[in-house]
Amino acid sequence: MAGGGTANDVRTLVSSLRSAYSATPVRLKIIDLYVLYALITAFVQVAYMGMVGTFPFNAFLSGVLSCVGTAVLAVCLRMQVNKENKEFKDLPPERAFADFVLCNVVLHLVIMNFLG
Amino acid sequence: MASSARVRALLWVAVMLPVLCAAFSEEKPTDQRVLVLLDDLALKSSHSIFFKSLTSRGYELDFKLADDSKLALQRYGEYLYDALILFAPSVEGQLGGNLDVAAILDFVDSGHDLILAADAHTSDVIRDIATECGVDFDEDTEAVVVDHINFAVQSESDHSLIVGDKLIDADVILGKDGIKGPVLFRGIAHSVNAASDLVVTVLSASPSAFSATPNAVMTAPPALTGTSISLVSVVQARNNARILISGSLDLFSDKFFKSPVQKFGSSSKSASGNEQLALELSKWTFHERGHLKAVNVHHQKVGEKDEPAMYRITDQLEYSVEIHEWTGKEWRPYQADDVQVQFYMMSPYVLKTMDHNGKGLYHTSFQVPDVYGVFQFKVEYKKLGYTSLTLSKQIPVRPFRHNEYERFIKAAYPYYGGAFSMMTGFFVFGIVFLYHK
Repeated sequence: MAGGGTANDVRTLVSSLRSAYSATPVRLKIIDLYVLYALITAFVQVAYMGMVGTFPFNAFLSGVLSCVGTAVLAVCLRMQVNKENKEFKDLPPERAFADFVLCNVVLHLVIMNFLG
Repeated sequence: MASSARVRALLWVAVMLPVLCAAFSEEKPTDQRVLVLLDDLALKSSHSIFFKSLTSRGYELDFKLADDSKLALQRYGEYLYDALILFAPSVEGQLGGNLDVAAILDFVDSGHDLILAADAHTSDVIRDIATECGVDFDEDTEAVVVDHINFAVQSESDHSLIVGDKLIDADVILGKDGIKGPVLFRGIAHSVNAASDLVVTVLSASPSAFSATPNAVMTAPPALTGTSISLVSVVQARNNARILISGSLDLFSDKFFKSPVQKFGSSSKSASGNEQLALELSKWTFHERGHLKAVNVHHQKVGEKDEPAMYRITDQLEYSVEIHEWTGKEWRPYQADDVQVQFYMMSPYVLKTMDHNGKGLYHTSFQVPDVYGVFQFKVEYKKLGYTSLTLSKQIPVRPFRHNEYERFIKAAYPYYGGAFSMMTGFFVFGIVFLYHK
């Protein structure tokens, strides 16, 4: 009975999460998808390193850090364009996107330099 | 033309003068003037074979009495001699002229050679000189080396004429033929200072020998016994000055050179090895053997000719050096299989034994370690009886330059892919994010 209760709770939790998330604007959902994509790419590279070893370590670092950096910048963008977030209510989304682009350009310059 | 040649010759003499007056020099090794100090000029005839062999090998011997008041080793700051033979064991008090223990030690300290022989009546001056050289004669001034088993049959009661055959196993000191006969020895014992690693015992006494006053009742056990008694020792100082110290002056005498030896308990007589031993030891002491010099130290990258100012980590390099040995007449290629070179920074990173081509050219190649910093090529060759060779040459090693790293490594393609996919992702995301209504 207890097990069935837990399964029920999980089901309720997931469905309530899904219904809550469906209320999220599509704009933010796109960002979430982008973050997910970056994290999966990072995970794949870490798994690959685990298989073949650390040899071109600089290449490994730049590959993984480019993913992690991208994810972090995307999360920052998400925080700034979220209407619910009152902290950035004075910051126009256009400005947030420009910051995001600038940071990405710098990130990828560094990554290219370090990739070897 | 002739006058310019003369000017040049004069100039050469002026430039080379300090070199000509120095001790054994690699530029002019045949120049050897020897001062021989004697107690009594009769020694000149009683030890004539030894002196004659030195003269015939090109040494200028200058015989003086040890208490001659005009004795001087140097004049106007230049040494007058290249070597000193001190066959004056019983000179009392002070040596003649301005010669004293300090003057003789200064002579050795400036790279000159010394042969010193003692006998049963050795004075304190001679003992002091020997002590400074790392050799301590038995303090009992009456004592001589006595051996009741290994003595030469001469008279029944006298067992102080001993027969020694415990010689050091070193071709460079004793010549490559080895000493053929037993060595007659009548004199005092010495012990080698254990703290000094420069002193080497050439002839040591047999286990049955001891140092005591002959024909006297022994009240205390002898201070020196057995094989710890050294009879003849040599010293090679750090400046390559060589010293020969013998407890017996008679060892060098014509009488011992020529007298047949009959060891106690053996019925046959054999020729003594004294002459051979004395001559071989004098050859060694006067640098006719075992003096090495290294020239033409060269290193380069494999496949290149010029010596670079710097190496890169993991470079392949070649190191070569020529080593020659002085034979008394000429420099001859030195041949040994144990010359090693170190690639050294605080500790040796590479230690390799070098191959040689039989003409004195030692060569090896190795890879620079994967460590950068200021390294040295070091050859530290210290072999018993040979002068020590110490070469070091500093060379920096740099890491890879930015553009020397390997690129487009197969194993790194997934990482390249990850980075570029992030860039593409950023581009696509940017467009989608901007144009999404």
